[in-house]
Amino acid sequence: MASVRALSRPTRGLPLSQISRQTSASVRRWASSQAAEAPLEDLEDSALGAPPLSEEEKKTFRPWKRQADRKFALPSGRYNYHAPKYDRGPLHPVQPLPSSEPTARDFVPGPFNLPRLRQTYLSTVASDIMTLTYSHIPPGTPKKEAPQRLREWDDSSPYHKNRSLRAPRGAPVLPLIERDINFTNIPEIKEITLAAYVPAALQDMDNLLVARAALLAITGVLPEMTKTKTNVQQWKIRAGEFAGCKVTMRGNEAYEFLDRCVNLVFPKIKDWRGIKASTGDSSGNLAWGFTPEELKLFPEMEVNMGMYPPKMVPGCRVYVKTTATSDRQARLLLQSMGLPFYGEVKN
Amino acid sequence: MSSTTATLLPSLRALTTRLFSRPSPLPSSILSKCQFSTTSPTLALSKASIAKLGPKSQPGKGSSKASGAKGGQTTRRSKRKGEVVRDPRMINLLRHFAILSPQRIPAPLRMARNRYLRHWTIHRAWLLFRRQQREAREKTWMRQYQSMNRACEELRLTSGPGTREEGYLFRMAMEKKGVYGLKGVPIEYARAQTETPARVPWDHEWKRD
Repeated sequence: MASVRALSRPTRGLPLSQISRQTSASVRRWASSQAAEAPLEDLEDSALGAPPLSEEEKKTFRPWKRQADRKFALPSGRYNYHAPKYDRGPLHPVQPLPSSEPTARDFVPGPFNLPRLRQTYLSTVASDIMTLTYSHIPPGTPKKEAPQRLREWDDSSPYHKNRSLRAPRGAPVLPLIERDINFTNIPEIKEITLAAYVPAALQDMDNLLVARAALLAITGVLPEMTKTKTNVQQWKIRAGEFAGCKVTMRGNEAYEFLDRCVNLVFPKIKDWRGIKASTGDSSGNLAWGFTPEELKLFPEMEVNMGMYPPKMVPGCRVYVKTTATSDRQARLLLQSMGLPFYGEVKN
Repeated sequence: MSSTTATLLPSLRALTTRLFSRPSPLPSSILSKCQFSTTSPTLALSKASIAKLGPKSQPGKGSSKASGAKGGQTTRRSKRKGEVVRDPRMINLLRHFAILSPQRIPAPLRMARNRYLRHWTIHRAWLLFRRQQREAREKTWMRQYQSMNRACEELRLTSGPGTREEGYLFRMAMEKKGVYGLKGVPIEYARAQTETPARVPWDHEWKRD
């Protein structure tokens, strides 16, 4: 491979393309550029230099042979593909490139850093949680079976035969059953969602604009607008109108957001006791809220408060979704990341 | 404008990394709309453009109605009679979102064969590196778990200390008092690791002045 790479060197002097012409022009000496030449020469020798070719290597180099032997055609030397501008749905023959492709429209280079909270989690917290919650099950113990939480049909009709089971009474969603933590399911942070409900946007759309800008500044992700779901006469809301926005962060961004909350925002809130321990949906997702005044404590908002009309800055809800299967496991995870809880524990 | 965008830019990863690297001038249409002395262009910017700027928003029934009925109710200060002035901060925000709108994403990168292959090689190497790191991590956790398991099994079958019956130490080890409690994790532990940690992990005596 090194010999092939080196072969481009002899062709460098030939005025073949525009690039090579540019390099040959830059070789010309100017009085002002004399000082700058020495470091460049250093670079050529140190990093990018290649040994000169031997006669044998020159003989064995046959690009036409390689081209003929190749089973699949290489991508052509010229640019001839343009990523489609619009996503036309999963059934359209023209599909957008995956975002990992550098030529995709939504390609983002990176990640360029490892958030320190994530580093702490991976190096210390994860294994500590696993150790702390370890409960030993002696070999030979019969497996505990999960209770059947779906209702059966009462067979009053012949059509009940082979029907799938009935949903539980009341809530349509079954909360998760807590699983023991082992090395494959150590709880971690999946995503963090910020949501702001801005009913004032029904009167004046500028409120929603400010809310979007605030969430954008805090999270760094473009917020999505949400609509009202129901008609309520007393609150003067109608279904289907824009009255809020939400943002979801995943991965590194979520960890950095939590880090900012724990170390910069929460300490600045006056008389802050912590997060209410009764929060949670009993499936490992915890939530809290920021009032408008607390939202203004974020450093991204603080440095630029002149950009927003202060009365229009909204409050927001923060949902931390974890892979924990119960609230107490999620609480343990967030506690070990520096979030204190207070009050009565529900789940 | 430049100062506000500069402060916002570091946080706007996804879209502005590319905007930042290859800045394109604002089209004259947007710039002309931002003259806040005229009435109709600002109103046109206010509501209809907000509705359009959302990532998945379609100009539906409700939004069109709202823009028709309440278009004039945006923040305004009438300095003289009959003249509507929009808050310049609002115009600033609108321009900001106009830049970030999906319609204004710059053209994709163009790569010919060699550059593409170079990128592809580095990308594959990066994925491989991450995979190795992840597997090493999971392997460590698995080994820790298995040695905990072995140790507890050993404890369960051990009698003592002294005249204690078999499994006494195991029962003591399996007591999980206060693990899930609100004071389960000491605050000194729950600090993100840094290269330059403080001498005192947590100053319990600290009081606001």
